[in-house]
Amino acid sequence: MLIDRQEVMRMARLARLELSDREIDQYQKDLTSFLSSGQKLQQVDVSAVEGTSHAVAMTHELRKDAVGESLPQAEILSAAPEAMDGFFKVPRIVEEQE
Amino acid sequence: MTSYDTVIGLEIHVALMTESKFLCSCKTTFGAPPNSQCCPVCLGLPGTLPLINEKAVEYATKAGLALNCQIHFFSRFDRKNYFYPDLPKAFQITQDAFPLCTDGFLEYYMDEQLVRTAITRIHLEEEAGKLIHSGPTIVDSEYSLVDYNRAGIPLIEIVTAPDIHTPRQARLFLEQLRLLMNYIGVSDTKMEEGSLRCDANISLKPAGSSVLGTKVEIKNLNSFRALEKALEYEERRQSKLLDRGEAIRQESRTWDERAGRTITMRSKGDAPDYRIFPEPDLPPLNLDPAWVSLIKVSVPELPLERLKRLEEEYGLSRYEATFLVNYRDFGDLFFELAEIGLEHKSIVNFLMGDYARLAREHGHMAAKRLAELLQLQAEGRISQNQAKAVLEELFSCRLSAREIVEKKGLEVVGDPAALQPVVAEVLDGNRELAARYKNGETKLLGFFVGQVMRATQGKADPETVSQLLRDELAD
Amino acid sequence: MRRLAHLLETRQISSTEVVEHYLAEISKQEPVLNAFITVDAEGALAQAKASDRRRREGQALSPWDGIPIAVKDNISTKGLKTTCASRFLANYVPLFDAEVVSRLKDVGLSIIGKTNLDEFAMGSSTEYSAYGVTCNPHDHERVSGGSSGGSAAAVAAGEVPWSLGTDTGGSIRQPASFCGVVGLKPTYGWVSRYGVVALAPSLDHVGPLARTVEDAALLFSLIAGPDPKDATSSDAREFSIPDWDESFVKGLKIGVPEEFFGEGISPEVEGAVRDCLNALEGWGAELVPISLATNEYAIDTYLTLVTAEASSSLARYDGVRYGVRIPAEDSNTMFARSRSAGFGAEVKRRIMLGTYVLSARQYGAYYEQAQKVRTLIRQDVLEAFKQVDVIITPTTPSTAFRIGAKQSPLEMYLSDLFTAMANLCGIPALNVPCGRDSRGLPLGMQIMGGHFQEELLFRVARLVENHVGVEGEVFSDKL
Repeated sequence: MLIDRQEVMRMARLARLELSDREIDQYQKDLTSFLSSGQKLQQVDVSAVEGTSHAVAMTHELRKDAVGESLPQAEILSAAPEAMDGFFKVPRIVEEQE
Repeated sequence: MTSYDTVIGLEIHVALMTESKFLCSCKTTFGAPPNSQCCPVCLGLPGTLPLINEKAVEYATKAGLALNCQIHFFSRFDRKNYFYPDLPKAFQITQDAFPLCTDGFLEYYMDEQLVRTAITRIHLEEEAGKLIHSGPTIVDSEYSLVDYNRAGIPLIEIVTAPDIHTPRQARLFLEQLRLLMNYIGVSDTKMEEGSLRCDANISLKPAGSSVLGTKVEIKNLNSFRALEKALEYEERRQSKLLDRGEAIRQESRTWDERAGRTITMRSKGDAPDYRIFPEPDLPPLNLDPAWVSLIKVSVPELPLERLKRLEEEYGLSRYEATFLVNYRDFGDLFFELAEIGLEHKSIVNFLMGDYARLAREHGHMAAKRLAELLQLQAEGRISQNQAKAVLEELFSCRLSAREIVEKKGLEVVGDPAALQPVVAEVLDGNRELAARYKNGETKLLGFFVGQVMRATQGKADPETVSQLLRDELAD
Repeated sequence: MRRLAHLLETRQISSTEVVEHYLAEISKQEPVLNAFITVDAEGALAQAKASDRRRREGQALSPWDGIPIAVKDNISTKGLKTTCASRFLANYVPLFDAEVVSRLKDVGLSIIGKTNLDEFAMGSSTEYSAYGVTCNPHDHERVSGGSSGGSAAAVAAGEVPWSLGTDTGGSIRQPASFCGVVGLKPTYGWVSRYGVVALAPSLDHVGPLARTVEDAALLFSLIAGPDPKDATSSDAREFSIPDWDESFVKGLKIGVPEEFFGEGISPEVEGAVRDCLNALEGWGAELVPISLATNEYAIDTYLTLVTAEASSSLARYDGVRYGVRIPAEDSNTMFARSRSAGFGAEVKRRIMLGTYVLSARQYGAYYEQAQKVRTLIRQDVLEAFKQVDVIITPTTPSTAFRIGAKQSPLEMYLSDLFTAMANLCGIPALNVPCGRDSRGLPLGMQIMGGHFQEELLFRVARLVENHVGVEGEVFSDKL
């Protein structure tokens, strides 16, 4: 396996996914198979090029600093799983434990 | 006990005072009802796309120019990925590999010495929302409330090189940086509202050593005082550990204002993996050099330049000049009054004295209105005490200084012919003392002047009175 | 569509009748086909009535006023559920319209419903939809392709005259090929992505699916053009439908890349494409053998980039502002539980992979490397367009496969083998049907062009269409 179980679990924590043991095994297999098929990509000589983030050349038009409309508070909160006094409500925030 | 060199670097976040947010057109007003200044974009609703506010780029560029940075015509935006309830998209749009500005510096006075702190980089990024915790601190809270009004306000992050050497210097630097941001008008820099925030990195190394020690990051420094106190605390804590031969842990600590100490937030081993990569929704920024030149022209006189000008061209002392630089509005007023042709020292004395007290209470007064008063004083038409009384009147009525003087009949009597009878009367009533004066007790002159002033209800010109008395007593 | 527009204009038919016709088709076929996640019969009829009123008053918004359309369910529609075929967004109702939807509404089109897809457009068969697979109208045992399977199947089955899809690695062209319709992935940036739920923003495209080349060109003309809300669309321009003059074909240089033919390709697919190529040659085009050697890396490059961008784009589904929330003691656990409950297996797999390739230790070896290989692929393709005007390949190596046939994710990923390249390069690419195989399944041909060469693609596709013929015409009794 190109990628160990610990690493799979670390990725799951980073991505905020709670995975069952069965899922961890499955994704360990999937990641490994993807990584081995992707090996040939590593062999390509890219020393002469920069990476491409945007395939089509474009100019970046900036937005003028003008105030537009915001949504009403009731609409903003309309889909909230939990809201209180005009705020979104979330359970206790604890620092990330790696 | 070993002696150590302290090495401090700062990371400062400055909220830019644009009308609309960084990536959408929502308002940026502070103190609005929660979640009332949000739209699909700053809420990170599915399918929304960011649009860069030109003004934010302009302000960041201006800050870079004011801090002597190299402005990069090409810069790029990146995504910094992490989960937190105040971050609507679960990534922050920032600039990582290609920031807008690099390699600058800020010069400022520490005591009598001009010192320089290098600026490593300045980049643009978006602000997160605001959290309100149900308990006294985040960890004692059962739940937290999220307000996204602040989410998406433009920020610049200014990173200094680790070349600050004392907690006091860190404070002076930050004060000077704040002043600079005010001068160029890109931020209101209100620490209490969070529009200026500072994190500090501090490490200790044996005196003279070139090897840097393990650095500790201190977050949550919400005032100048907190910055200085936290660094002082951390200096003591680290030196004690080193004295005992213990290692410093690389970690993030937070300043606990009430307890007056720093406490561990998380150790570096737990540092999040931000998975930063280029933002695909935004093309790179390609600034037009001509546009940057226009911004350069718009950078006003900066604090240090103004300080030099006040000292060198106006002959003010460091103390006086510093006052006029730190209180930029007073400085502006000074230049206006000086332009009118008033004497520099007397303007600054006036501004730093009674005027400062009254202006703090009532706000500033138009230069022209003030100039008239100063003119009257300079011409000797009113005394210093009278000037003070007129100034108070000026703040509370619409009359001009001249009109107040006339109305109150405050004008100084400087005509020797008019004063001669009063002088004669005073000397007549104090013959014994007059005799003593003539016998050499010349310090009695002050007493006679006082008597004449009293008799004229302070209207007499003291200079003229002195002269008349001296002439009279010499006979 | 010109004929339908004529019937509407001359009031031989009303928009209400047109919409009722398609709603009836939908009720008849949906129980088996499952091309739609949401059908908005009420809304579509109300829009049809409004359109009929406008027509009566001589206030038609455009010649197309009153014609219905289906929109893929990852394109935001104000007030109408947009699920992305995910449990996470089962009840998500957008507060705004996607730019493309606004443009359709502005010319009077009525949104009849939202079509099925692989969850968050991650897949090639619509089997990864939380709302069940969409069958192929030509064989219900087979997939419609993906991820725009619902949009392709609905058009092919006559449930709607046309539809919008999205294409990140082939998601318009592959289902268009499997279902036998025309589908265009435009030049990157020519159609606004605003309001289109992101999978991988540097590879995502919105485009038309229709029965005929002209309809596809027409629909493209309605959605193309610059949008100030999409910073990546700033260089886009307007598009108008070509005049269909055929003389351009004389001397047209058609690139035929060897890597897309031969081994691994179904002989029937290759035969049909070659037959069309020969026809084009017969009309005066020049066939130029070329090589696109970098296509060897296209799938791995594409997968690396698409998973990386997706892991970030889908991070916002955290259960704070909308969507699924599974309660927990603390926020981090709440995030993880909500996401795990809301996402299907393929979405989680891609998020895991994307997180991995972006992680600090792997970034250089995977993400950065893939971005650089993307540059090489782009150079390779743009170099080819210095010699040829268009490039023609099969759209897929084979026709529609059986539901459940592709067991491993990797096997599924290979469905994009011929299509991912165009997304990596941002060039336009179009599927045009080119016949049927022995089982009666549609065969598809892909035409690729340089940036902003859509008009040329439509012209070539129209010739192919004339060669193989278009099947079925709705309202033929009225024509």
